[in-house]
Parts: sequence; structure tokens; C-alpha cells
Amino acid sequence: MNRIKVIFSIIAAKLTHFVGKFVGKGTSKPGQIALKILPDVLNYIKLPKTIIAVTGSNGKSSTVNMIYHLLENNGLSIACNNKGSNQLEGVTTTVLTNATLSGKLKHDVLLIECDERYTKFIFKYIKPTYCVVTNLYRDQLTRNGHAEEVFDVIREHIPSSTHLVLNTDDILVSLLSEKTEKASWYGISAPNTQTRVGNVYNDAVLCPSCKSKMTLEGNDYSCDSCGFHRHDPDCAVTSLSLKDKKITIDGQYDISLMTGSLFSFYNTLAAFTVSKLLNFDSEKTASLLSNYELENGRLTRFCVNNREGTLLIAKHENSTAYNQCFQLVTSSEGSCDVMIVVDQISRKYFTGDTSWLWDIDFNLLCDKNVNQLILAGKYVNDLIVRLSFSDFPQEKISHFEDINSAIESMDNEAQEPVFVITCFSDQMKVLNNPCVKKVK
Amino acid sequence: MRILHLYHDILNLYGDYANVEAIKRLAQANEVSCTVDKISLGEDADFSQYDFIFMGSSTEKNQKVALEDFRRFSDQLKNYVDSGKVALFTGNAFEILGKTIKDNTKVHNGLGLLDFDVVEGDRVSEDIIVKADDLSLPLVGYRNKRGVISSVESPLFEVLYQNSQKDIIKTEGVRYKNLFCTHLIGPVLVKNPHFLLYISELILNKELSDDSLKYNQLSYEVTFNELNKRANLSDDIKS
Ligand SMILES: [Zn+2]
Repeated sequence: MNRIKVIFSIIAAKLTHFVGKFVGKGTSKPGQIALKILPDVLNYIKLPKTIIAVTGSNGKSSTVNMIYHLLENNGLSIACNNKGSNQLEGVTTTVLTNATLSGKLKHDVLLIECDERYTKFIFKYIKPTYCVVTNLYRDQLTRNGHAEEVFDVIREHIPSSTHLVLNTDDILVSLLSEKTEKASWYGISAPNTQTRVGNVYNDAVLCPSCKSKMTLEGNDYSCDSCGFHRHDPDCAVTSLSLKDKKITIDGQYDISLMTGSLFSFYNTLAAFTVSKLLNFDSEKTASLLSNYELENGRLTRFCVNNREGTLLIAKHENSTAYNQCFQLVTSSEGSCDVMIVVDQISRKYFTGDTSWLWDIDFNLLCDKNVNQLILAGKYVNDLIVRLSFSDFPQEKISHFEDINSAIESMDNEAQEPVFVITCFSDQMKVLNNPCVKKVK
Repeated sequence: MRILHLYHDILNLYGDYANVEAIKRLAQANEVSCTVDKISLGEDADFSQYDFIFMGSSTEKNQKVALEDFRRFSDQLKNYVDSGKVALFTGNAFEILGKTIKDNTKVHNGLGLLDFDVVEGDRVSEDIIVKADDLSLPLVGYRNKRGVISSVESPLFEVLYQNSQKDIIKTEGVRYKNLFCTHLIGPVLVKNPHFLLYISELILNKELSDDSLKYNQLSYEVTFNELNKRANLSDDIKS
């Protein structure tokens, strides 16, 4: 009986997917329909021997895309949800549309990006061989709850057979290893590098395991009470330059990157660590990751009148993402103008909560290379108030509720590049302005 | 003015620290000098030296850590509040002042200063509009919590609107003398300048100018209008 349902749901998913391609519908629908026919359909699909999952607050898509690139260039065939949803429906779509009618996924590797909270459902059916956890930050607290809560979900549902690939510089992520038999750690061990960016709050004051006071020294952490501590990384960035956008891994593999932010360094390192576990040639991995251009649209180059512009996606409700964008801006050569747009807080739900602005470290912008700071969007007043409590020179700030007026206010004679920092929910309001021309 | 900020480092999940900064800024704009002392686990303080005490939101685990540490201050806080001085607890901070907190593992004894019990359940996450009799305008804010309190005799606010289906309530928080307890999280005073003015005037016992709060006022109006598109409150509530 189930056999027929399996075939039926595979056909339904493939058909919906096929039709969806023409009508431009999302990637959740095929999986959604299949799950209606048979809720545990994934249990009946024969999956590849190697399954790689990537989860965490930030950097999932970039890391998945880099791992994909490495697998592909090592001659492996891959089924991956990198073009679609990262919840159970999206993963189901990926598996079923790639499966044969007899219920077999013939690809060498199944590579899945998993929403942190949906690991609860996804890992029920799919037991990853490797699972990368990038980081657990304060991220969309209005929707996700806090990081400890997300941690609890992942810890409870990660299969004990899974080989975890963990960011050792993130204390919560690091603690996940208690759950499984096998783990590898990656981290930044470069001298004089602060891996925690932003000084407004510190979620590492207490040990996540026993809640005693942690000893924090540079990037190192340890708990005298229970012994929890930073693991030495199995794969480490041993030197780096934000300005030159360069890292060296394990003292010998040099990689040049398209963006100089700690995020991109960590994502690259995570992909590198996976390739090591898969026994890929490290020289080759380093050269494949060098200057690899990400396609996920986190960075869009444009021209505004005669000025060079870059739009950076820092997710609203995610202070770490903002802080890293600020770091990227201030490590760039020469001076620049910065525009921050907060108009619609989320594209998926409504909230008027702006408490997350108070977690962002705007002092990171106090660098002398920021000439002018332009604030814009519906929540511009919240930004003005927040900035008034920072050390940023108030005379360099201008503000507009209307985003178009903000763009048109920019000095056309100026030569400095412009950085616009905003979220997916607001980026098109900038890019659709007639003065703004996207460049390839 | 002297402010005591309790557990500033572990109870600060939603930018709650901004409340202290806002009071300090308003005092200074009115030419009142203001100092802030911050204390955390194991550190000592003499509450009688202060004019305002603040405690902010946290994860459920950090709240329990603070609860155990704060027991030693129980009598001090009681005396402070009974003397009519002003204190504000945002988010889940005030839950430790009740009789018990029940989470999924055990029942924690609270400080027993206030007469309610807390049960932690599914997370409640919602934009909210509330009002208090003493304030001319309603307040806007956000609640993000697991704790649900049993009914109390003297709530702080009346609920006008909430945009989730969980923990549907008519009243919000607790007021006992000048102890203000609310589940609203984060920079409540920044987002509601009339509440900031009210609290600050209560602390200083004099009228203050709100000239420095122009953008707070605009921020409040924008958020109120956004929420009211969903709430459709009648016009007499707004004024
Ligand atoms: Zn410990």
C-alpha cells in the first residue's frame, strides 16, 4: 500500500515541480503536496551514502554553495536544496524531484541547507553523515526565540551517529559535541584577531553547560567548574587580513576571497573542513575556494549617478550581521558614505519591534573613513535615537523617512563609494530607485 | 540621581540596557546629574543609596541563575519598594519576584515579594498595545516570553491589542507602589517617551522637559500607527 503512495507522491512532487517552473511558483509546494499524500515519504527513499547538512544562524547558504562547488569539481553528483526552501517541505522537494520512480536518489551526495528550528523535522527522516553548524547568534528573536532555545532544538534532534563539524569559536555550537560520538572543530587561531565583533552585549559571560562564570581570554574560553572549553580546531585559519581579503588555513593554504568579513572567512573555513573530511586534495580545495564568487545576492554592486555603490545584506533583527557589515565597510580602502535602511523589519511577518537596534555596535562605524551616515526608512526615527546613544559624530548623520529622497540626497560630485546596508525585505526599495543602476 | 542596574551582563537579551541609558540622558538634558552603578553575580550593593533600580530580560536559564543570586537582596528590595522608591523590571525579570516559577524540569521558589505564580509554557511572541490609567497615551511594545503569570490584584497595564493567539490576556504586568513590572521587553522607555517622562518625574519628584525626546516621540507614533492598522483602536484611546 505504502509503495503505491510513495510512487504517487514522487510523481506528484515531480509534476508540481515541472508545472511550478513555468508559473514561477516556489520550491516548497511539491514537497508540501507529497507530504500530504504520505507524511513520512522520506523514510521510503533510498538516500546516498553521503549526506551533508548545514545549519546555524548565519552563513548557511554561502557554506552550502561553497561545499557544492567543491563536490562538483571533485566529480561528484549532488542533489541540493540550494535553490529553494530550507524547511522540511523544501528538502522533501529536493529529494523527491531528484529521485527515481522506484524511490532511489542516485546522486553521490545529498547536500542540504537546514533552517535551525526545522532540524527538528528534517533530522527525523534524514540522518546526515556530516552536519556543519556555523554559529548560533541572536537572530530574529521575534520569530526564533533566543539562541539557547535554538541550541536545545538542534541538540535534541541531531542523530548521535552524525559527525558534527563545529565552529569552535562559538561557545553554544561547540557544546553540541556532547551529543554525538564524532566531531571536528574549525576556528580562527590567527594572532591579534578578535573573533567576537561588537561590544554591546556578550552572550558568553556564563558557561552554556553549567552556567558558572566563564573565563574569557581573547578568543579563548573555559569553565573552571565543569571543564567545558574551546577545542583546538582540527582545521584553522592561521593568518588573515580583512583589508586584503585573504586567509591562510593550517599554515599553508592561501585563499583570496571576494569579501573581507569574518563571516566569509568562517564559511570558507567550514567548507574547507568538510573537504578535508572527504579526503579531497587540500591544494585543489584552496584554489577552488579562491575568488569563488557567491551567487546568493548578499552583495550587489551598483552605480548611483557617477558613484560606485555596494549593497550589503545584513539581516534586520540580527546584530551580528550588522556588526560584520560595519567591519567590512571600515576595513575597505579610502573613505566612504554609508546608508542604513530599516523600512520593513521582515518580509515574512509583521513586527514593529526595534529592540535589536540596541544590540548593534554602531561604534564600529566611528572609523574615520565614514564621511557621512544616511539613515532611511519607516523606522528612521528609531535609528536616529539609537545613533544618538552611540559615539558616532552626530553632525555626520542625515536622515530621511523616504528611501528615494535619501538616495537622491547623495552628493553627486563626491568620489567616495557608497555602502548601503539593509535586509532582503528592503533591498529592492533601494535598487529600484531610478538613479541606481545595477552593475555586473 | 543614582541608578542601580542589576545583572546588566546576564539579563540583557533584548537591549534592555537602553532603559537605563534613556533615564540618564533625560536627567542630564534637564540638568540633573546622574550616575549608574552596574552589579552582577556575587557583587554587593546598598539599595538605600539609589533612586532607581532596573533589571532586564534574559534567557530562562540566566533568569534562574539571577534568581538564586538575588535571594540575598530580598529584604533590601522589599525595604526599597516599601519606602516608595522607583524600580522597573522588564521582560521575564519580574517573574523572580513572585511565589514560584514552574519550568519543564522543576518548580523554583521565587522571592515571594509579589503574589503570583509563573508557569513556563510555549513561547509567546507578539507586538502589543497597552495602557495605564496614569498615562494619557497607550504604550507600544513587544513581548517575547515563556512565563505566564497567575492573575494579580494590581496589574500595571490594561491590554488593548496583542497580535498573537497565545496567552490572550486583559491585563499586563504588576504594579506595587512604585515598582513597575512588565513582560514588555527591551527599550520600553525609549519607545514610549511619555512613560520615560512619567517614570523620571516620579524618581526626581519634579516636572521635566521632554524637548530632548522629539525623535522618540516620532518613533512612538510610527510604531503606534503600524500596530493600529491591525488593532483599529477607536480615536479616543489615542489621545
Ligand atoms: Zn561549565
